[in-house]
Amino acid sequence: MISGRLVRGLEGRVYIALAALAVVAVLLPVLNLALPEDSAFHVSSYAVTLAGKYLCYALLALSVDLVWGYCGILSLGHGAFFALGGYAMGMYLMRQIGARGVYGNPDLPDFMVFLNWKELPWYWYGFDQLWFACLMVVMVPGMLAFVFGWFAFRSRVTGVYLSIITQALTFALLLSFFRNDFGFGGNNGLTDFKDILGFNIQTDETRSGLFVASAMAMALGLIVASFVVRSKLGKVLVALRDAESRTRFLGYRVERYKLFVWTLSACMAGVAGGLYVPQVGIINPGEFAPANSIEVVIWVAVGGRGLLVGSVVGAILVNFAKTWFTGALPEFWLFALGGLFIAVTLFMPRGVLGLVPSLRGKIRPLRLPGIGKGTSSTVESPAKAGE
Amino acid sequence: MSCVRLRLFAILAAIALLSSVSGPANAAEDLRPLVDKLGLGDFEETARAVDSLAATGDARAAPLLEALANGDLNIRKSDGRVVIAIRDGADYKLADPLDGAALGVVPAGGLDRIRINNSLRRNIRAAIGALTLRSPDPSVRRGAAEAVFKSRDAGAIEILDAAIAAEQDSGVRRVMEQARAATILAGNAPESDKLAAIDVLAARGDRDALALLNNVEINSQGALKDAAATASAKLTDTLAIWGMVQNVWYGLSLGSVLLLAAIGLAVTFGVMGVINMAHGEMVMLGAYTAFVVQSVVREFTPELYDLSLVIALPLAFLFAGGVGVLIERSIIRWLYGRPLETLLATWGLSLVLQQAVRTVFGATNQEVSAPSWMAGAFAIGQIQITWGRLWIVILATMVFVALVVVLRKTSFGLQMRAVTQNRSMASSMGIRTPWVDAMTFGLGSGIAGIAGVALSQIDNVSPNLGQSYIIDSFMVVVFGGVGNLWGTLVGALTLGIVNKLLEPYAGAVFAKVFVLVFIILFIQKRPRGLLALRGRVAEA
Amino acid sequence: MNKILRGVAAAGLLAASAIGAGTAQAQETIKVGILHSLSGTMAISETTLKDVMLMLIDDQNKKGGVLGKKLEAVVVDPASNWPLFAEKARELITQQKVAVTFGCWTSVSRKAVLPVFEELNSILFYPVQYEGEESQRNIFYTGAAPNQQAIPAVDYLMGKEKVKRWVLAGTDYVYPRTTNKILEAYLKAKGVPAEDIMINYTPFGHSDWQSIVSGIKKFGSAGKKTAVVSTINGDANVPFYKELGSQGVKAVDIPVVAFSVGEEELAGIDTGPLVGHLAAWNYFMSVKSPENAVFIKKWQTFIKNPKRVTNDPMEAHVIGFNMWVKAVEKAGTTAPDAVIDAIVGVSVPNLSGGYSTMMPNHHITKPVLIGEVQANGQFDIVWSTSGLVVGDEWSDFLPDSKPLIADWRAPMSCGNFNTVTGKCGGKGS
Repeated sequence: MISGRLVRGLEGRVYIALAALAVVAVLLPVLNLALPEDSAFHVSSYAVTLAGKYLCYALLALSVDLVWGYCGILSLGHGAFFALGGYAMGMYLMRQIGARGVYGNPDLPDFMVFLNWKELPWYWYGFDQLWFACLMVVMVPGMLAFVFGWFAFRSRVTGVYLSIITQALTFALLLSFFRNDFGFGGNNGLTDFKDILGFNIQTDETRSGLFVASAMAMALGLIVASFVVRSKLGKVLVALRDAESRTRFLGYRVERYKLFVWTLSACMAGVAGGLYVPQVGIINPGEFAPANSIEVVIWVAVGGRGLLVGSVVGAILVNFAKTWFTGALPEFWLFALGGLFIAVTLFMPRGVLGLVPSLRGKIRPLRLPGIGKGTSSTVESPAKAGE
Repeated sequence: MSCVRLRLFAILAAIALLSSVSGPANAAEDLRPLVDKLGLGDFEETARAVDSLAATGDARAAPLLEALANGDLNIRKSDGRVVIAIRDGADYKLADPLDGAALGVVPAGGLDRIRINNSLRRNIRAAIGALTLRSPDPSVRRGAAEAVFKSRDAGAIEILDAAIAAEQDSGVRRVMEQARAATILAGNAPESDKLAAIDVLAARGDRDALALLNNVEINSQGALKDAAATASAKLTDTLAIWGMVQNVWYGLSLGSVLLLAAIGLAVTFGVMGVINMAHGEMVMLGAYTAFVVQSVVREFTPELYDLSLVIALPLAFLFAGGVGVLIERSIIRWLYGRPLETLLATWGLSLVLQQAVRTVFGATNQEVSAPSWMAGAFAIGQIQITWGRLWIVILATMVFVALVVVLRKTSFGLQMRAVTQNRSMASSMGIRTPWVDAMTFGLGSGIAGIAGVALSQIDNVSPNLGQSYIIDSFMVVVFGGVGNLWGTLVGALTLGIVNKLLEPYAGAVFAKVFVLVFIILFIQKRPRGLLALRGRVAEA
Repeated sequence: MNKILRGVAAAGLLAASAIGAGTAQAQETIKVGILHSLSGTMAISETTLKDVMLMLIDDQNKKGGVLGKKLEAVVVDPASNWPLFAEKARELITQQKVAVTFGCWTSVSRKAVLPVFEELNSILFYPVQYEGEESQRNIFYTGAAPNQQAIPAVDYLMGKEKVKRWVLAGTDYVYPRTTNKILEAYLKAKGVPAEDIMINYTPFGHSDWQSIVSGIKKFGSAGKKTAVVSTINGDANVPFYKELGSQGVKAVDIPVVAFSVGEEELAGIDTGPLVGHLAAWNYFMSVKSPENAVFIKKWQTFIKNPKRVTNDPMEAHVIGFNMWVKAVEKAGTTAPDAVIDAIVGVSVPNLSGGYSTMMPNHHITKPVLIGEVQANGQFDIVWSTSGLVVGDEWSDFLPDSKPLIADWRAPMSCGNFNTVTGKCGGKGS
């Protein structure tokens, strides 16, 4: 029964995305590990790590699309959930270093040693177990999102006000985590990881393993998100995105639906962060920077909002562009990236994926409600909206 | 170049004046051997030479010491003579330090600057203070008394006594008496004198006085210690109250910085609904306009240098406004009705603008210096108000008032409000809505440019300038209530003052965190901001 | 859509092959990686270092390159983003196959790339003064360790200025934290009571200094000579000094000695009101030496701006680059292991008229200079050490690092050898 609903719940493009993911998840590690380095088809570990990093970003973008594309909540603070998940995983990795830190202290991470801390703070307890860390990767962002959302949605904070307070949230966390007293390594964050579950984090095998894990998380995220938006719940979400008051007057407890999706999305972002950290090797308060969260929104917009797969494509596309530009055009890449954002907005209002007609040849006209409320300039006239 | 000549002229005029007052020119020759000693050895020897010059009590030594303090005193390499050298193009014009006679011109390589350090600077300050206590100019005498107050040089007491006796100006006399009290406390005077001195200092009532009293408290015994402790405790309490007032002023000043940064956004975002992520870059463009204007003025009309920022204000408004109009016509106008996409486009735009400025001006900071009327500080009671901050408060007020007047009293303002409230109806009434859109966006951007000129005085002029204000600006506009200018005003001042009142207790980081948490909680209570728009508009 | 998805899936492959193609045709040159942020918050400081490196490489090529091959600079932009630093380091080493990398400014960027250099066994020269507490086989630290900057500065203030009361003001990150920790321990060891030390931390990019400057004035009114030791970083310095100037905190009353303020930072400030405030560095542009005069001229010609200033991290890159060239010539190869072995003991002229030597702990010897700010934005050197100071990676003033030493020569080859337990690896167990 459930599987039947699940299958019906998936769209064509999600199938394609899942298939592509499966191919990549098998192909990249095989080409990396099985082929000799001088082979023309060899994939370098650099490319594998990079691909893993892109997938984590893609999962983050997917989580934003879930709330923004289907629920109308423009979060400018999703980086906070991503970073919290990352910190939870980083703490586990720090504990795995054990006595191999520069001071050789088996009980304390290096940064605590030179700050003269004598014992591990209570909130670090339990992080020497992967299962606990994994739980926290999901729970901490989830709890924060739940509490934040519970207050915000009950108070009917909407639109730009909600966006800005999510930004305030991540900014406040940024400042707090920068503080060395906070016990998370301050600006240097957590770094110099050695192993995960006993596997050396620097070997190609571990890298491939992490990449496959990211691909699986990505796939799971797509399935869950797709299931949610195709279920009855998803219909209500779209309804409240397009006409919140009307949905409320029809008897739906709008804030509960929002809260559910919001918390789910935060958990997904946390997972993305948890997988991101072992692959890039550092987690630092910079991940909380409001600019990062804005960038995630931009990935989604570039790929195509409200299409799930669009956010994945957008995240990979923009980050690939960034990787390529910063190497190829180090002095001018911001022109290229900035120009790309402007061009996408002007010429591809539905994002890159919006250009491609769906397999069944129907794109539901997507009404994007404005958040600049308080003025009627947001009332759409077809000519202006460019649809 | 002309300011260099002016400076040389001023030094020489001072020398000429003094030598004519103090009689025959050959008297200057008494000082000559002491002057020649200035550049002989290391800092200690120079310090001894300064002290012996001061000990002559000869007022002609004062301009000489000023020149030393300013780094204008050099040794001519060809003959080892101590001369005053003022830069003139690639060369230096030389003058005799005592009689001001011109000694020709040498290239930069022909001179050795007599170098000084901080302790030498203190010696010079004390010496000049003692030497100029009898100057005919009351402001110079006042400065001299302050210098003696700082130096507390026991040798100056006699000179001070004579100066106090001769002093006509009561304000200057009071400072001299305070200087005398400070000097007595530092020396070996009898206890009764010292007790009297404590009263004088307690009456002065500022931090410098407190420092001296604390010093006495640390270093003495018995009645003196008690008296100093009592006076110091009382002074500390008074200063604590002043400190609160001072914090409110700091908050006000921070608030007006926030207001300036946010008010342009209140137009583009608050009124037009464009999520203008490039707002910070408009501020940056304004700051760079100030830099360019100042460089041009310095190059071509140095006499207007002090006015360069005033000249920069309208130019920054026009330039940033012009860029704004350009942006509106080329990008934003395709995006009305899709405000979220303005976020994407303007974010891209902000990256492009930052990199453009970096390419043109380089990544490093540029200097925009403060004109003389913005430098320094003055005191009201025991609160220090710096001129720069005061002018920013005034500017913020003026900009705000001007904007309100434009919106309320001009036909453009009327059209603007009409278009933003009901575009199609305004259009039907014959308002050229595209023109109004462009002008409104230009107005918001232009105001951001003005903010940039002001911020150039307190912050980095670098390509990153805008980034550091954009988040605060959005917070202010949203906290105050989108679409409401008064909300922006109240919001900016509230956040500024709350931040500054918290800072002494919570530290700079937590003060900011608390303010952010405060905003989050406040929005729960009032989901439409501080001063929410009412009625149907708000629910649109 | 099918096509697009497949294209996206192959993005990783593409990245590899696109860059891989570039390496094939570049056999004739030795590649030198330059890993400095050209955008974002750190661009303000790091862009200059990229330009210096380009100049040095250009210069070396005019002299015939190294080992008969031309050097080729590979510039990437890590954009002040720390994970991107790690990614770019990996790209430089594995894709571009650089022989050596010069880069990083902030400690966190160094920490982010450190495991990459270790894993891929490549060499990084790090040119900025830092907090110490680190010595890694693949990294050469050409900036100052705390004992080459902070401690001499405090000694100077204590001795010459008779300072009794200290404000340690810094940005809240690891360099100020560690430096202040060391200084606090040092001051206490010198008999300064705890109530005469005020420690204050501010966030990055702090721009409103009114309260803090007024707090410093308040702390300074306790009747003892007070000085401020500033480890305030980067952007925050300009507003800090502007506020000092406008609130009239004069160097003759409360001197401020800074470890992160050099000629480049002062170029953005009107230094008139700041005359006499101090900075401690291993190089100042005003150093009088023939090497320095040549260097300044070369730099201003290269950058085509006769007003551009030079600063300490630039000198560190000059020293580091020359050391690397010399070590490569000594080893006869650019292979990292050979260079790492050859470079210890290599001496090259520094710009202040002496020689700097690479020590076995991968830090270098440097003179310590203390300068006072002048009205023209330069520093007047008022004090300098008589000889060279060896960079001390493990501070003696922190209990846990006191027993540690680093020596990368065989047979010890250890970055954290514990002299008490006689074992490599910190505390040991």
